[in-house]
Amino acid sequence: MLKYLLKRSGIYVVMIFLTTSAGYLLAVSALKPALLEQERVPRPTPEQVANSFRLLGLDPNKNTWERYAEWLGAVVTRWDWGRSPNGAFINAEFGERVWVSTRLFLASIILTLFIGVALGVYSAARQYKFPDRVITSYSYLAYILPAPVAYFLVQLGAITINEAAGKRIFFVTGISTPGVDAGWAQFVDLVAHYAVPTFAITVLGWGTYQIAQRQYLLDNVNADFVRTARAKGLTRNQAISRHALRVSFIPVAQSIAFTVPAIFAGGFFAEKIFAWHGVGSWSIDSIALQDVNAATATLAYGSLIFAIGAILADFATTLVDPRVRVA
Amino acid sequence: MTNLNAVDGASLAEEARIEHNDVVIGKATIILRRFVRNKAAVAGLVIFLALTAFSLVGGLFTSWDKATIDPLFIAEPPSSVHWLGTTQAGIDLYAQVVEGTRVSILIGLVVGLLSVLIAAVYGCTMAYYGGRVDKIMLFVLEALIMMPALLVVAVATGSGGGSLRRDAPSWLLLVVVLLVFSWMGTARLIRSLAMSVMQRDFVKAARYMGIPPRRIVWRHLVPNIGSLLVLDVTRGVTAAILAEVAFSFIGIGIRLPDVSLGVLIGQSTAQVSTFPWMFWSPLIVMLLLTGSLAMMNDGLRDAFDPHSSSVGKAKRSQKARAA
Amino acid sequence: MNTRASQPTTERAHGASSETRSNQVPANSPGSTLSNNVLSVRDLNVSFNTENGVVHAVRGVDFDLAAGKTLGIVGESGSGKSVTSLAIMGLLPTTAGVTGSVRLNGKELLGLSDKAMSVHRGNNIAMIFQDPLSSLTPVHSIGAQIVEALTIHNPSMSKKAKEARAVELLTLVGIPSPKDRLKAFPHEFSGGMRQRVMIAMAIANNPKVLIADEPTTALDVTIQAQVLEVLHRAQEETGAAVVMITHDLGVVAGFADDIMVMYAGRPVETGSVDEIYYGPRMPYTLGLLGAVPRIDSVEKSSLVPIDGMPPNLLREPTGCTFAPRCPLAVAACLTGEPRLEPVPRLEPVRGLDPVPEPRRNASPNPGHRAACIKADTLGPSSLGALADARRIFHAPPVPVSKFDALARSERETVLELKDVRKHFPLLKGSLIKRRVGTVKAVDGVSFDIREGECFSIVGESGSGKTTTLLEIMEFDADQPGEIAIGGVSNKHLGDGRAKTAIRRRLQMVFQDPSAAMDPRFTVFEILAEPMEHLGLGSAEVRRRIMELMNLVGLEPDHVNRFPNQFSGGQRQRIGIARALTVKPRLVVLDEPVSALDVSVQAGIINLLDRLRAELGLSFLLVAHDLSVVRHVANRVAVMYLGKIVEIGDIDVVFDDPKHPYTRALLSAIPVPDPGVERTRERIILRGDLPSPLDAPKGCNFASRCPVFAALPASLQEKCLTTEPPLEKVRGRHTEDRQFACFYPDGLLDTEMLVVHETSD
Repeated sequence: MLKYLLKRSGIYVVMIFLTTSAGYLLAVSALKPALLEQERVPRPTPEQVANSFRLLGLDPNKNTWERYAEWLGAVVTRWDWGRSPNGAFINAEFGERVWVSTRLFLASIILTLFIGVALGVYSAARQYKFPDRVITSYSYLAYILPAPVAYFLVQLGAITINEAAGKRIFFVTGISTPGVDAGWAQFVDLVAHYAVPTFAITVLGWGTYQIAQRQYLLDNVNADFVRTARAKGLTRNQAISRHALRVSFIPVAQSIAFTVPAIFAGGFFAEKIFAWHGVGSWSIDSIALQDVNAATATLAYGSLIFAIGAILADFATTLVDPRVRVA
Repeated sequence: MTNLNAVDGASLAEEARIEHNDVVIGKATIILRRFVRNKAAVAGLVIFLALTAFSLVGGLFTSWDKATIDPLFIAEPPSSVHWLGTTQAGIDLYAQVVEGTRVSILIGLVVGLLSVLIAAVYGCTMAYYGGRVDKIMLFVLEALIMMPALLVVAVATGSGGGSLRRDAPSWLLLVVVLLVFSWMGTARLIRSLAMSVMQRDFVKAARYMGIPPRRIVWRHLVPNIGSLLVLDVTRGVTAAILAEVAFSFIGIGIRLPDVSLGVLIGQSTAQVSTFPWMFWSPLIVMLLLTGSLAMMNDGLRDAFDPHSSSVGKAKRSQKARAA
Repeated sequence: MNTRASQPTTERAHGASSETRSNQVPANSPGSTLSNNVLSVRDLNVSFNTENGVVHAVRGVDFDLAAGKTLGIVGESGSGKSVTSLAIMGLLPTTAGVTGSVRLNGKELLGLSDKAMSVHRGNNIAMIFQDPLSSLTPVHSIGAQIVEALTIHNPSMSKKAKEARAVELLTLVGIPSPKDRLKAFPHEFSGGMRQRVMIAMAIANNPKVLIADEPTTALDVTIQAQVLEVLHRAQEETGAAVVMITHDLGVVAGFADDIMVMYAGRPVETGSVDEIYYGPRMPYTLGLLGAVPRIDSVEKSSLVPIDGMPPNLLREPTGCTFAPRCPLAVAACLTGEPRLEPVPRLEPVRGLDPVPEPRRNASPNPGHRAACIKADTLGPSSLGALADARRIFHAPPVPVSKFDALARSERETVLELKDVRKHFPLLKGSLIKRRVGTVKAVDGVSFDIREGECFSIVGESGSGKTTTLLEIMEFDADQPGEIAIGGVSNKHLGDGRAKTAIRRRLQMVFQDPSAAMDPRFTVFEILAEPMEHLGLGSAEVRRRIMELMNLVGLEPDHVNRFPNQFSGGQRQRIGIARALTVKPRLVVLDEPVSALDVSVQAGIINLLDRLRAELGLSFLLVAHDLSVVRHVANRVAVMYLGKIVEIGDIDVVFDDPKHPYTRALLSAIPVPDPGVERTRERIILRGDLPSPLDAPKGCNFASRCPVFAALPASLQEKCLTTEPPLEKVRGRHTEDRQFACFYPDGLLDTEMLVVHETSD
């Protein structure tokens, strides 16, 4: 198993390298930070701009391949992802933002998975009854609503609650209030900030899992092995919960690979709407600011997340399905 | 689940029906009948067609267009003059919604159809050649899937883009970018299905009879993955419309002066409590659009599925009454 | 129907086991028959509500079953036999309407809730299902699944005791090193092994009644023999009454005490085994018996085809359901469904074929009932049931090919294989694929096929017979070994067009006719495709299609239908017609009848016989059913692990097999004749087909060989070190037969021999 994971990781390293390189080349040829500098007041001379960029390692006079070689060399030898046009170090900025993104998504991913799978099982058990119809219809509604619009609607709802209550219960933007005392006050502040984005991402995300889990379980309730289990003396519900359920987890586990990056992409919308300064919003901002190195770093991060998702999916599949375990 | 056929009353009945079936009906007819029998699917189709018609000819019913400013009505709620009210710039919202719907449907259809076409060619090529070709093409596919689409969308339509951005309308750029990143998942699906069709006995039979490969692909492979292709088109159209709205909503997709549903929804968020009509009317149109497509997709999937429980419902009940 | 008084046990060489059995079932004595019945079914009816209307899947099933006895329920697909068993177990979907009565030890089971029923299921009444591949939960270990069966009904049992019992059960069903295997998962077991696990689970709580639904249908004959043996042992061990459901008249002949034949949801004939097999009174039973090809029949005769299809169960039958297919039907048959009534006793007639002795033993009794108004007049004639069947069902005369008179050496060779090989890399792990060795699927196969002959390849699954077929169909210059079609070798091929032209001389008929036809094509399009490609004009194509439809016995009007609008048998006829469109010399048949019901199968086999004679075709037939092969083929090759171990004239090989594997294969085939079954000596091979990785240096078969096992160590050495060559018998060079064994006349290991016997 370990050997296999190493091999897979190797392939993904190659892929990450290729996509990141492609991203860098695209960014270098498309993004021109010098143009932005022209809008400053007082307008710097082109020599001044070129000079300051050369110091930052963003020399606009070098050709694409020279810059690529320089950038790659720094990343490989010193793990230095370069600097932004404003002089900030990508490594430092990145570390901060990854932490913000992780805090935003980790709880949501876990909640999404659990609620989606649980509702899927629940609705499959009550196929075509009222609760099933409500839950499944909701999931379809979540499917036809674009993520940022949905987040915005949740935000509106939170604002309405705040207004109705006459005081601010939820923060609809930002990650924390500066200057709050440590301890209980800080915790309340944290919860007030986290509640809305986490809720928004979760309620929008679970639909896919609910529909998938419901379908897989329904595919399995009439399986031969469930009948065997009933023939042994289990009641129908016991047979389903002890035998069909775990088998129906297998394809759900496999789909994790595609969900982790999907949440990352959706997460970018969430970061934008809720004004959390994570990696996702950085990737957009970096383009607006013509920041080649930051854009490339966010792209590398996205690829890495995808690879982690794929390996996690393999791992999860191995956990639930003995057939793929290697003796 | 192989030996359940004995218990399966439906298959017994089906067998019996075949025996006494005098009229020969084609598969397309059967699928059409099943689709028509699905009320939600038909409703979806009707709504979708109505919206398309609305987007094409809706402009004829009003004298306003998407650019004319009415200085007498600035940010006014719906009235008899401006059916859906006006924007803060004093532009008729109805005219803008018509225009936005057209752009959104256009983007959806172009991206949905083209991405499935690309995916079909790519996926079938992989399945047909197999081996090394398949491996390399699969690697490229996965690498593309890894690439976050977002970044490229932003580069192409946002601050980058260069001369292309100046010459082409923003919706065309969005179409190109969405195309580049929407076909990979479909291509994977088509590949695996095409591979399983290539393994089927009837393809083997054709090969053994000396039918040339190109003919096999056209006569046997493509028609047999046809249902998947149709489903992917409806799914692709929905996804493209959703993506357009999402990107335009946060300001990196379509940009003014071009309008789309996403732009209309996005630009009205700031004053949603003051001018709610600006937000809700394009949003409702968008929900009707994506919802009708989802309903159609569902109905089509049922109609294509040979194990579907809705097989021959109408016919059977008629028959049962007659018997 | 089991009112038959217990008869004195026939003394036999292996009487020990039957003694044990009668000891364990002391209650089985005259006078106590009523209280003796562990399972009583009365007027069982099952209906399903479908969108098409109500399907009456089971109508009026009645039977009693005593402890230790076996009832065989025989019928074709859709006859309601499986539904009956599921209704007894209470495993039908809740939407099914079940009426009547099912009593287990006098307690009514019908109408119990799922919860109340689960107390009985797996405890008093257990079931073994058909498909061992899908019937075990893939994500739980074997041990966990067996222990679960124990836990449900013995919650107080200690963990240790349960594990010990699981080991005991696995030992009983013959799983080697059971302790280690507890942790194994189902996918690590072969089909036969999984079926053993199923049996172990079913008998875990010593059930009173054991229902086996087609328990061996998915298995190879050698494994079938093993599993039937295990079932026998399980029955002895638990003293359970067994309901054996099967479509195979051979399987129950040696196993059951009583038989119930079902047709269109109803029992149409019931009686003791001997009564049913030797004196059937219902034309359907008679037809079924005549439709089965027999491995032990030497004379060539056509099989009995039963025309038509089973009736539509949606309609309330107004007359006998079999009447539309029955050659004896008269007007009276169409008014009112005949009831199942006792048939009058017939005096046993002496000196009849095929085996007179059992007939004398079988005393006819009122337990024999049939649902036919002509039952009185039917009864066995002096010619025996088989001959009766042929006469009544108008079996066609045996077709004679013009080539049959010619000596084999004078006929042209249509296909020749020289040292054909196909090796695959063996990959392990489904996520991590690594090559762990080479599978020699086909390893140096040579044979030739002459004009007008049917050559057959037989062997267990995994023996390489289908791979050999596919290699022939590939016909490519890159293949190792030489394949010559009509004298043109794959090594001397011109361009692609020449290859296509030659390949056209060889056409294939597939196992599953519905998979082999594009569902989007009408029959006309299916048949026209190869001809259009040849550039035939549309008038010519049309004429030829009509001709072909007639030839294979289909109505030409049906050419515009889609394949799914035909029955299985008709679809296979279309498949055959398609193979004939390009006028091939040789038709390759891959299990052409294995997906079909017995009565339909007979029609296809007769058609193949006729085509071979009328068109002078050659056939290459791959089949796992040796009885079919015996009936159709002229020559046969027996394959084991990619090699031919015996090849030659069908009668020479099947009547006097030399290779121990051929001997084992043939002895494993059940014969639909209780008398023969009871006295047959059966070789039970040990274990499964070995992993191709452990391919030994010497003889491939040594690991399972009963002769090898009985050899003294000094002689065993040769088998282990030298590969036996495929040779003719010394001194008999004119005989058409070669085999690969050093000790063809070696004694068999008695431990691997079993004489099958019934339990009375």
